[in-house]
Amino acid sequence: MALRDIKPTRSELINLKRKIQLSERGYKILKMKRDGLILEFFKILANAKDTRGDLLRKYAKAVEMMAVANTVEGAIGVKSAAFSVKEVPQIILKSKNIMGVVVPQIESSKVRKSLVDRGYGVLGTSTVIDETASAFEELVESIIESAEIETTMKRLLDEIEKTKRRVNALEYKVIPELTAARDFIKMRLDEMEREELFRMKKIKSRNTA
Amino acid sequence: MVGVKNISAPYIYVCTRMRVRKAKLLPKEEYMRMLNMSLPEITRLIGETEYKQEIDELATTFKGIDLIEVALSWNLAKEYQKIQEITPGNLKQFTHAYLRRWDIQNVLTILRGKMQGVKAGKIKEILVPAGSLDANVLDRLLPEESIERIIDALKGHRMYPVLAREYPAAKESGSFSRMENELYKQFYAEILAEGEGGIKGGNLFIDFIKLDIDIKNIKTLFRLRADTFKEDAREMHILGGALSATDFANLNNIDDQGEFIDQLKAKIRQKLLLSLLEEMRTEKTIRDVEVRLTRVQLEQMERMSKRNPISIHPILVYLEKKKYEVFNLRALARGKESKLPSEKIAEYLVV
Repeated sequence: MALRDIKPTRSELINLKRKIQLSERGYKILKMKRDGLILEFFKILANAKDTRGDLLRKYAKAVEMMAVANTVEGAIGVKSAAFSVKEVPQIILKSKNIMGVVVPQIESSKVRKSLVDRGYGVLGTSTVIDETASAFEELVESIIESAEIETTMKRLLDEIEKTKRRVNALEYKVIPELTAARDFIKMRLDEMEREELFRMKKIKSRNTA
Repeated sequence: MVGVKNISAPYIYVCTRMRVRKAKLLPKEEYMRMLNMSLPEITRLIGETEYKQEIDELATTFKGIDLIEVALSWNLAKEYQKIQEITPGNLKQFTHAYLRRWDIQNVLTILRGKMQGVKAGKIKEILVPAGSLDANVLDRLLPEESIERIIDALKGHRMYPVLAREYPAAKESGSFSRMENELYKQFYAEILAEGEGGIKGGNLFIDFIKLDIDIKNIKTLFRLRADTFKEDAREMHILGGALSATDFANLNNIDDQGEFIDQLKAKIRQKLLLSLLEEMRTEKTIRDVEVRLTRVQLEQMERMSKRNPISIHPILVYLEKKKYEVFNLRALARGKESKLPSEKIAEYLVV
């Protein structure tokens, strides 16, 4: 807001004062929100580190088990057993609110299955198929858990960034400009008042003379 | 050799041929040598052995590791079909019965593939027509539109009654596991019945099958223990072996490993198996248990075939050893492709 565009009137001063008050209140609230989000973020970060590590470990194990299953049963045996899987885990997406940020809450149907629920018969397959299926079930569970945590983290980070920009804008741009405008109007009004006073005095002295 | 005089020449001929074929299988040293080779070297070596013909035939359709695997399976199927052709009389009947397990695998693969909507060509790639349903019959099943039609097309086959009985429940639950178990149980019940049908040499066939059933039941018990399956395990039990259904269910409910081994040992008579079970008192991985049980089974089968050189035993031992040669070569090739360390691949080899 350029100072030259400002009308140095009392009503404008009152408006500006209101705006400054509002901006300062908003600044305080946003600062608190930013700090709160950062706290939440760090809480989730520790969890996310564990989950990501867990996911990578489980992925490596699942890949290794697939290699072993291909080695022992061959691609033919693995594919034949894989055909028996009918149920795909179902995901239910809900949401929760962390300081105004809507984050996902993912619930899934049962991923881990018992030996008899996997769809293939026990008598026609070998242990390595069980272990591979189990490794992949654990991996899918871990992916679902990571998806929730990492999406929450991403959304929190976006929100922190946005809030930080707003706080900075208020702190370094909006409030200083409004304050400068207020000071300018005050100064102009004082000046106008002094001019008026001087004029009045001049008129009075001319009249007495 | 007492009694050889009473045995007809074709029997002696086919048993000798089986021994010759068995002698031509790759020896342990060859596998150990292959463990130190790279994948291209293994591929070249396999291509220079008796698998050459299949590799040449399939080279236009498959590539790399898939070519090796499919060629090995085709060779196995061809070899099994050839053996069914050359075996005479009762031996043919027993061999035929023994190889029917491949029908279960193939039919189940087709049914599962159809259920998942997999294309017929893709399903065909993973069939091993080594049983009584040859490639032509399987080819006729593949284009069928629905599972019901496939089952109908099998009318007259031994599997049909079980498939027709179990399929509605399998369709409803979306799981073929019970149907698969029932098919294998029926398979074992039928081959035991064939052995007990008064055919000459049937008792030797039964001994072989009973050993197979015992090993299968023990493997299943270890698997169920690893999965902590505590429901009624009778559904997974195969009748006809040393363990009754009640023994099987009771053994599955024992938590303590030592007590489990003690109870199991009380039911088993084979010495090799007893000493292996003793070693399993200490916790071992389930994979290790399975591989060691398979090795014991093969060793015991080998002993039986030496004790009865002109019987069904040499044929069945050859069938098993051939299966494990294919298994080992595939394991070596797949293991190398997956960059598994040689020591790890060696753990899975059945030699």
